[in-house]
Amino acid sequence: MKTKGCLIAVVAVVLIGIFSVVVWYIKTGNKIVRLDEGVAESWAQVENVYQRRADLIPNLVATVKGYAEHEKTALTDVVEARAKASSVNVNPEKLDAQSLQQFEQAQGNLSSALSRLLVVVERYPDLKANQNFSELQAQLEGTENRIAVERRKFNEVAREYNTYIRQFPASIVANSRGFEKKAYFEAQAGSEKAPEVKF
Amino acid sequence: MVDSANAFTIDQRAALTAKLDSFDIETSTQIQIYTTTNLQGYDIVDFAQRLGEGWGVGKEGFDNGIVIVYLPKTDSTNGEVTIQTGYGIEPLIPDATCKRIIEHEMIPCFKKDSVYEGFKRAVDVCISLTKGDFKADDYGNNSIGGFWGWVLDHLVLSLVLGMVGVWIVIILVIIIIAKCTSGGGGSYYIGTSGSSSGSSHRSHSGGSHRSYGGGHFGGGGARGRW
Repeated sequence: MKTKGCLIAVVAVVLIGIFSVVVWYIKTGNKIVRLDEGVAESWAQVENVYQRRADLIPNLVATVKGYAEHEKTALTDVVEARAKASSVNVNPEKLDAQSLQQFEQAQGNLSSALSRLLVVVERYPDLKANQNFSELQAQLEGTENRIAVERRKFNEVAREYNTYIRQFPASIVANSRGFEKKAYFEAQAGSEKAPEVKF
Repeated sequence: MVDSANAFTIDQRAALTAKLDSFDIETSTQIQIYTTTNLQGYDIVDFAQRLGEGWGVGKEGFDNGIVIVYLPKTDSTNGEVTIQTGYGIEPLIPDATCKRIIEHEMIPCFKKDSVYEGFKRAVDVCISLTKGDFKADDYGNNSIGGFWGWVLDHLVLSLVLGMVGVWIVIILVIIIIAKCTSGGGGSYYIGTSGSSSGSSHRSHSGGSHRSYGGGHFGGGGARGRW
């Protein structure tokens, strides 16, 4: 009788133990999913603001063309860099270092093509006085700020996710369910501060 | 309203605070004015965005906050000003409009040393744009029409000013109660940038005890220099 009572007690303890491990596993898994979703959402915002910049370019190019037609190289550079940047697709499920770097590089090329164009534009006072152009430059400057902000926000959210999935014991759940570390945006010179666009 | 740079007189501070508070209560849109002589190493736009995000200016879900940061001109450095708009304000006051407000309303006044006038005008424009009295596109293009535009502007202005007197009284009562019942107010920081900066910012807050609602800022807005 006594051993039977003991056995029941042991079984009960083991069952409770298994039950709480399962509950913990599910809860931790759900939290990782939530954090992962947050990273994806943040990434969508990043793409959003870069898209916003890309959307401004046709208008900018058209406006500049009207005043500075023979600055062909600077203009085509921008158009080509824009096309390249738009063609880079990043899978939001898999934000690893490599895909992020590709994205960075394409967008970085566009940034430098744009700033070259804006330096060239300095030589055309009529263009600078154009109302449409000054609106575009204000929007462009605002968009560069937005890019800096969303990159920073992405890094914050990704850091929170990475910290969580790499800490024991949540790391067990993350490993078993195949959650991987997300890459960060590098804080390039000038990305913390909004690039100083001189018009 | 935090006036660390002492850009306003006490009366001006009270008037602006009253205007902002009544607008906040009326529409839930919050406008935060911050003057400082020290940006703590940040770019002014970055500073304003972090301030808005950190304090949560505007309401959660609406993100209807506006932050205006002012750095006075000194002998050796340019004056700087920026208007940063919360996500919810971006469609109502686009960047180009922020730029126009800064260049047409604020900087001309700042150059004449009438900081208060510049802020008053900018705030009036922000208020009328976010109220939806006229669309942001109309502002600065004068497309609303000379005479009627003028009437509309001044109608809005006089309605807002009419409220100010009432709010000054209410705010004075709040200040007196706050002075009598408690020792000090809260201290302000940007994000986690340390605790030592609190005291200098506390001294000139406009006596307002509005609470912030968790609005978010995405970097929209514009800057100006003079």
